[in-house]
Amino acid sequence: MSPLTRAGATKYLASRVKNEVLVSNLGQASLDLLAIADRPLNCYTFGAMGQCSSIGLGIAIGRPDVRVICLDGDGSLLMNLGSLCTIAAEAPRNYVLMVWDNEVHQTTGGQATATARKASLVGIARGAGVEKGIEVRTQEELERAVDRILKEDGPFIVVVKIDKGPSTAPFDQDLIGQASRFRKALAALPAV
Amino acid sequence: MAEQSWAKHVADVLRRNGIRLYATVPDYIVSHVLDELWADPECRVVTTTREEEAVGLLSGAWLAGHRGALLMQNSGLGNCTNALASLNMASMIPMVLVMSHRGDLGEFNPAQVPMGRAVTHILDALGIRWIRPMSIAELEHQTDGLVKLCYVSSQPVAIVLPSELTGGKRG
Repeated sequence: MSPLTRAGATKYLASRVKNEVLVSNLGQASLDLLAIADRPLNCYTFGAMGQCSSIGLGIAIGRPDVRVICLDGDGSLLMNLGSLCTIAAEAPRNYVLMVWDNEVHQTTGGQATATARKASLVGIARGAGVEKGIEVRTQEELERAVDRILKEDGPFIVVVKIDKGPSTAPFDQDLIGQASRFRKALAALPAV
Repeated sequence: MAEQSWAKHVADVLRRNGIRLYATVPDYIVSHVLDELWADPECRVVTTTREEEAVGLLSGAWLAGHRGALLMQNSGLGNCTNALASLNMASMIPMVLVMSHRGDLGEFNPAQVPMGRAVTHILDALGIRWIRPMSIAELEHQTDGLVKLCYVSSQPVAIVLPSELTGGKRG
């Protein structure tokens, strides 16, 4: 059992961000972020399993002056591992990929993913060419990792090992409204 | 007989409609368009490992204020169908899809034929408006309107490039 929970880590990260963009994965990551720390600069993604890291990469390329932090899941990232190669090749300095790694497909009932067995996402990312990789297992390690990603140039991958368990937060069906609100909020953020 | 300048016309209609960001999984036919874009310092081309990833990337770029186009083979439409449906159609995120039409007239590879038959049906099933210009004149005539429709409807549109326009790929 990990001492960290997705809700607790989300709450901590949200307390540290200001003008950073948070891009959350479908299911658990978006439900928790929406319930705990809703803000216009959150980009919730409820479609296209696997695409959270790629959507964040597109935002980071489109707004190189804004730091973009993706909140992906282990099951989703495992579905789009090629994204790590593209992140490494494009190497946006303003890009961070955080992964809530609970080693299960939580939304579908808790079936084990490959990270429960042999796979290391930091190791895979390193092989893809993402050199700044951090694995986090405690609150202290999380705080140190957040210090770094808010200060240093990326791209980063931060894999946060979290406890299993589904979000209890409700689902907001207004996907078009959420995307539109985010797009307007980002456009209104003055270019640095 | 296809005119060799078709690829420059495709690149030009995209550029004159304000598209500067491109994502691609290359194919022999669209590579002629990519050559034009790679040579243009105002354009950025990101090569992804799979077409679905390109859909995600261009969707993010749209949310950050940029128009984008995805250049691929029609087989790639199969690799990104769910993303187009559950992300772009569901959340109304526009992008321009540009795909070669393998598996149609003159095809040499049997593996291309089933997807060649399916491509426009998949686009129709998704509700994605498409054009299939048979000549440079048709391309020039239809594309500005298609791109305008893309952004006014806030949904993806597709340009399917038939072998009559491009000359296809010889086996």
